[in-house]
Amino acid sequence: MTGLTIAIAFAASCVTFACPLLLASLGETVVERGGILNLGIEGAMLIGAFSGFLGAYFTGVLWVGLLTAMIGGIASVLLFGVLVVRFNLDQVVSGLAINLLASGVALYFLRVAFPGGGYPHLNFLFQPFAVPLLSQIPVVGPIVFNQPGFFYLAIVLVPIVFYLIYRTTFGLRLRSVGEDPRIASYVGINVSRIRYTSLVLEGALVGLAGAFVTLSQFNTFDTRLTTGLGFIAVSIVILGRWNPAGALIGSLIFGSTEALSFWGTAFLTGPQASSLAQLLTILPYVTTLVALVVGGRMSKGPSALGAPYAKE
Amino acid sequence: MPLFNFFLVESTAKNQPIGDSMAVEDTVKEDKTQVSVSMANPNYAIYVEGITKTYSNGLVANNNVTFGVLKGEVHALLGENGAGKTTLMKILSGCLSPDTGSIFVDGKKVHIDDAMKAVKLGIGMVHQHLSLIPSFTVTENVALSIPLPGRLKLDIIREKIIAVSKNLGLEIDPDTKIEQLPVGLRQRVEIIRLLCQDVNILVLDEPTSVLTPLEVDELFRIVRGLKEKGKSVIIITHKVKEALAVSDRITIMRLGKVVRTLNASNTNERELASLVVEGFVPSTNGTKGQPGELALIVKGLNVKGNSGRLAVKGVDFLVRSGEILGIAGVAGNGQKELVEALTGLRKTESGTSIMKCCNLANRPPQFIIKKGVSYITEDKMKRGVILNLSISDNLALKCIEQEPYSKNMIVNQRKVESRAQDLIKRFDIKASDPCANVSSLSGGNIQKLMVARELSNGSILIIAEQPTAGLDVKASEAIHTKLLELRAKGVAVLLFSADLDEIVKLSDRIAVMYDGRIVGEFLSGSLDMQRLAKMMLGSTT
Ligand SMILES: Nc1ncnc2c1ncn2[C@@H]1O[C@H](COP(=O)(O)OP(=O)(O)O)[C@@H](O)[C@H]1O
Ligand SMILES: [Mg+2]
Repeated sequence: MTGLTIAIAFAASCVTFACPLLLASLGETVVERGGILNLGIEGAMLIGAFSGFLGAYFTGVLWVGLLTAMIGGIASVLLFGVLVVRFNLDQVVSGLAINLLASGVALYFLRVAFPGGGYPHLNFLFQPFAVPLLSQIPVVGPIVFNQPGFFYLAIVLVPIVFYLIYRTTFGLRLRSVGEDPRIASYVGINVSRIRYTSLVLEGALVGLAGAFVTLSQFNTFDTRLTTGLGFIAVSIVILGRWNPAGALIGSLIFGSTEALSFWGTAFLTGPQASSLAQLLTILPYVTTLVALVVGGRMSKGPSALGAPYAKE
Repeated sequence: MPLFNFFLVESTAKNQPIGDSMAVEDTVKEDKTQVSVSMANPNYAIYVEGITKTYSNGLVANNNVTFGVLKGEVHALLGENGAGKTTLMKILSGCLSPDTGSIFVDGKKVHIDDAMKAVKLGIGMVHQHLSLIPSFTVTENVALSIPLPGRLKLDIIREKIIAVSKNLGLEIDPDTKIEQLPVGLRQRVEIIRLLCQDVNILVLDEPTSVLTPLEVDELFRIVRGLKEKGKSVIIITHKVKEALAVSDRITIMRLGKVVRTLNASNTNERELASLVVEGFVPSTNGTKGQPGELALIVKGLNVKGNSGRLAVKGVDFLVRSGEILGIAGVAGNGQKELVEALTGLRKTESGTSIMKCCNLANRPPQFIIKKGVSYITEDKMKRGVILNLSISDNLALKCIEQEPYSKNMIVNQRKVESRAQDLIKRFDIKASDPCANVSSLSGGNIQKLMVARELSNGSILIIAEQPTAGLDVKASEAIHTKLLELRAKGVAVLLFSADLDEIVKLSDRIAVMYDGRIVGEFLSGSLDMQRLAKMMLGSTT
């Protein structure tokens, strides 16, 4: 392999790793615009990955997996939604509780579904799809236009989510709820309904992000496959200043660190290899910290983000 | 399909009944005996009958309230804090639902389930704490309350805002963000928003409480303009003068009940004042203090605001013991930052604040407190008290390190509680038990509690920020008396208040703050209210 082909393969891998992050951070952007900080996205992505895998494994149809992943994602995010919208519980604590619950649930049902132990595998995957003509463009083609369908979907969603937030009545209301839910309710906006709607949307996107991991990126399920992705998506939202375009850039940055740590673990050789590889696996988290320090300082999020709100 | 009726409906303008005020009063008298007749009176834009509202904590905020507003009139709802005015108006505008009672709009019985329904019936309310999203533009804020699903059609809304504001002569730029507008203009945006929704009855809740005198005049001009267009305006106030100045009729509320409805032309300040507070005689302006030695010398103080820009720019002033220096000014002109710098809550960039030969600038709050500075804060909930501590603990917060309240770091609970009992009595705090949490008290009583703590620890300088905010007339009087008493004892007082009457009543000298600077100073004897009002808005002439 020449240097160029390796570089292209690596770049393509960065884009691939960015895909679930983009789907999830788009969803999180929407709910955070409505004033809800969903740390439970980590658990929701795990459930999405797991339910997607189960759906595909037992029916043998990948598309069914896609559907069950979205259902799983929506169910987990809605459970979180009930805690914070209906019962007005602390958003951070509720999110972390959902994460703990999700890994417990996933492990339990993994053993119920596959009592024999071990890790089941799928014999089929969502394969990368080479866009006719475009994938022939030198360098750019193989990097961007030879990706799984998830990626094209995520890219198309960027302007759509942007339009939703900034150019629709729903988006205006969503942002007003995120700025000040009490004022929004004074002008007749149903805060709960807006927030639930945004949560359902996020659930579907996060479910898809999970499905990408188990139905396209890997062909198996392990609770560790999605570890950290949700939290990274949350920091991408901050770094991207609650803007879908920012989420795209942030996802590419973090996708690259993920790819680097993945490639490092796979290809490093020599006496220091294992310790170096370990070092590389913490790279995404170090980047997260840096992003939070840099991004968190320069940007001001929705004013009511994370604040409890009870109807009068 | 005309989504909006851009211009004010002509037909309502014809229904103005105000010409013969005697006839109006007759109708009102009739109300009391023959309600069923008058509610059908088509001259009433809105009529409510027998409204009772009990809050979840058992407080009866409205007790069998009956009153009506005529088409095309300005109606003042007058009463002291806690009389139930806001509650009643929230019921009319759909923000609260009553326990019992009926509402008639244009003679027809209606049920107002939510704010949207109220707007459909032509009733809209400008809340006391304005309900605009600060980071949104004027257009976006108006768009929020106009239900058009799908794509945002900001252009239509913008045109409508321009049409409505032209029609009333209210200048506004639809594309500025609310946070860049002064309070007076924000209020205007709220009014425009209601007009964009084709509202016929506008409720303004204490609109003047945040305005300077000149802005109040401007608001009253707008209100009269609305009336000319045939709108009914209900204006809530606790100031008798304002009710007389702007309205056609005045309804007085006290303790959740309607006391009486009067024609503004047939009454006067004294009568109204005695109706608002039973048997209340307003006290005359305060006596003069006897200024002694210098208590606080502030020189060249520069303080940055949250935005990072200078909010206090080279402020100089001094306060003597035994005098009250009032700082007048529209909120947001650096008063908050100045207070925070003086109390050690905010960093000072440069300058000194000297008390007894000691520079307090950039010292921690604890140091400043120990030097004898008391601080009555505007933000009582966040800074004044700890809500989840008991009343007696809150009262002891600043003396808990001293004997006899503690010794060798062990608290003497008996002493702390007996002190609390004493303060509760002296400051008339309505609390059942000194061991109850502060969060169980009402806002007014929390204010009294904080004031009690700050005024009882033998300080030599009191920094009072809105000391009577949220208090009724009697409680305010009590606090004023206390401040004057302390002044007589030689305490220096630095008073910040949005209530100009309060400043004028208490201060020996008045300094005006505008855009981070002290732009003028008056002696209370030689006060030119017109000039003061102009200075507050930055005019130098
Ligand atoms: N949400 C609430 N819960 C309980 N009590 C309330 C609530 N809002 C107002 N009150 C009480 O109801 C009374 C009337 O309040 P309000 O209508 O705001 O009076 P006003 O507007 O005349 O000052 C006051 O004693 C107030 O403390
Ligand atoms: Mg009120």
